[in-house]
Amino acid sequence: MTADRRPTDREREPLRVLLPNATAAHLSRRSFLSAAGLVGGVAGLGALAGCGGDSKTSGGSTDGEIEDALSIYTWGDYDDPQVFKDFTSEEGPRITLDGFGSNEEMIAKLVAAQGTSGYDIVVPSSYYVKQMVDNDLLMELDHDLLPNLENVQSEFADQEFDPGNTYTVVKCWGTTGYAYDSQAITRPLATWDDFFDAVQNEASGSVSMSEDPGEVVFAYFNANGIDQNTTDPADYDAAQEFLVDTIAPHLQAFDSYPGSSVIPTNGRKLVQVWNGDSRIGKLDNPEPDRWQWVLPAPTNLWQDNWAIAAGAPHPVAAHAFINHVLQPEVSLAELQYIGYNTAVEGVEEAAADAGVEYPEIIFFTSDQLSTMSEGELTDLTPRQTKIVNAMRAKAGT
Amino acid sequence: MRRRRVGEGVLAVPAAFWLVAFFVAPVALVVWYSFGYKPGLFGTHANDVLSFGRYGEALNATFAATYAQTLQIAVIGTLAALVIAFPMAYWMAIKVPPRWRGLLIGLVLVPYWANFLVRTLGWQIILTPDNLLSRMLEGVGIIDGPLAMMYTRAAVQLGVVYNYLPLMILPLYVALDRLDPALLEAARDLGASAWRALWTVTLPIAAPGIGAGTLLVFVPLMGDYITPAVLGGARGSMVGQLVASQFQSAQNWALGSAMAVLLVLTILVTVGAALLSILAVRSVVRANRAVRLPETAGAAA
Repeated sequence: MTADRRPTDREREPLRVLLPNATAAHLSRRSFLSAAGLVGGVAGLGALAGCGGDSKTSGGSTDGEIEDALSIYTWGDYDDPQVFKDFTSEEGPRITLDGFGSNEEMIAKLVAAQGTSGYDIVVPSSYYVKQMVDNDLLMELDHDLLPNLENVQSEFADQEFDPGNTYTVVKCWGTTGYAYDSQAITRPLATWDDFFDAVQNEASGSVSMSEDPGEVVFAYFNANGIDQNTTDPADYDAAQEFLVDTIAPHLQAFDSYPGSSVIPTNGRKLVQVWNGDSRIGKLDNPEPDRWQWVLPAPTNLWQDNWAIAAGAPHPVAAHAFINHVLQPEVSLAELQYIGYNTAVEGVEEAAADAGVEYPEIIFFTSDQLSTMSEGELTDLTPRQTKIVNAMRAKAGT
Repeated sequence: MRRRRVGEGVLAVPAAFWLVAFFVAPVALVVWYSFGYKPGLFGTHANDVLSFGRYGEALNATFAATYAQTLQIAVIGTLAALVIAFPMAYWMAIKVPPRWRGLLIGLVLVPYWANFLVRTLGWQIILTPDNLLSRMLEGVGIIDGPLAMMYTRAAVQLGVVYNYLPLMILPLYVALDRLDPALLEAARDLGASAWRALWTVTLPIAAPGIGAGTLLVFVPLMGDYITPAVLGGARGSMVGQLVASQFQSAQNWALGSAMAVLLVLTILVTVGAALLSILAVRSVVRANRAVRLPETAGAAA
């Protein structure tokens, strides 16, 4: 049992402010400051190198024996390290890990390398999968090597963005809400409208929003009854006006991971945050009940997926790994580490039996689920970055 | 100088090759991309239609406001580094016995060799409200609440001065090292005050070092991206982050390239304007200081 060998949530000391964890915060999922992001120039060089060649290597085949290595390119700190160790000792391949901070960064690297990236497993969010398939960046999965695919909950198998799980398997999913210090904000908050109201009042100057431009803009749309996947430029104009002129002057930071140090030290009054991260922050705070997690409705739902890069040099090992993490007990270990629902059949009951804390921040009722919607790429998506840049410029004046 | 032969130019070939391959070519590519456009959602750049459109797109209120903030941080940061570094360099070059100088230079350099990101993250920990520095300042009554410096422009200002200080100290040290203490003694013997000696002897000799240090600090500081990203939060943004956001998050390499080219051009213009005004001031000062010998003395010579 992998779960026995790793510290429980309680045993994690509230010392995440110290250096290794401050670094970890910037290596975490979706942080635009990931180490990979900082050496973005390297990807640029890769692009230069990639310009010349148009040959696509076919990579290995899935017919042979399992290879002795496996390269995983994923969001930072997004898997239980013990799961990697167990996989290597049980199946053989040594695992090399590399981290990215955004889907765009990962895709840019795969495009530039033209199938020679050397990565086997990549972890795209759902709304990028179709784009990656259209651009020949992913390899078709060999379901003969994935018998544990049947463990995936039916609502997370055979989804619209990837019919028949041809290219991807769900890794985990989560949602976006906010958390507040209930000693600083004493009234109950429940909606995105409440969030923006508190931003302009008692939380002013002590608020952070996500570094993901989509999350910032979606929060406005969801506060105002606008479909977060709107394709009406007028909606974006309104979002820009409100977020830049009204909200930006009250913001302290754009921070995707307040759970790593801000929530444990009560460093801010109000933070936009993904559910798993808010739970980690509460667990690391000596007074966890001081922080109130809010799941507004409607809000954004996102899902990340296991996939194999086109030209992967170790496809058999990659299949073996995906199959490995789909085992119920491994999936539970992953869930306990990251605090996101891994969508394997029975994992909620197993988590309850294992005494996982704050299950209400990991698992959601069908009523809650019905109010969430998934983000999509639209022609207006690039405007999200412009809005956030304008917010940054405004906040500094 | 004139004796150099053609064949000796070979010595420059490795460096020239390196610069062409890894500086000129990438910069040229960035300039080339800046004339292109983003071909739809899933492409990063295309150059089949060339235009100045991205420059028009880049030159908006966001860029102007962020550039103004960046320039302010860079000018204050460079001046602060100069004011802090000069006494240190003077002390190292003039006052300290020569046998200790190597050690002091090492002490200046060793922190600089540590990873830039790690050093900046170190400041993040120091400036966190719930930390030792905050409690100490609160304890001695300098501040009356938790330290509120993290995620402000002041934090970025502090971070950049710390990060670039060695680049100011070293050229100043090299320049002041050439200053013969006898010149200062002579100035004092001839009745100059300490300030007068500093103004007429030390500063002119240090001028090349001041110029080199100012450029070495100002130029990279204008393009800094890590320091504001780690310490600046929402309120201490710099232009480097705008460029990075176009490449990494918006996936618009054409617009990002145009912003990068604009940044380089505006830095060049700023530095050029500063150099011109320094030259102008210097010529005025020299004209005022010029000592004109009486006609008769000139005739006698």
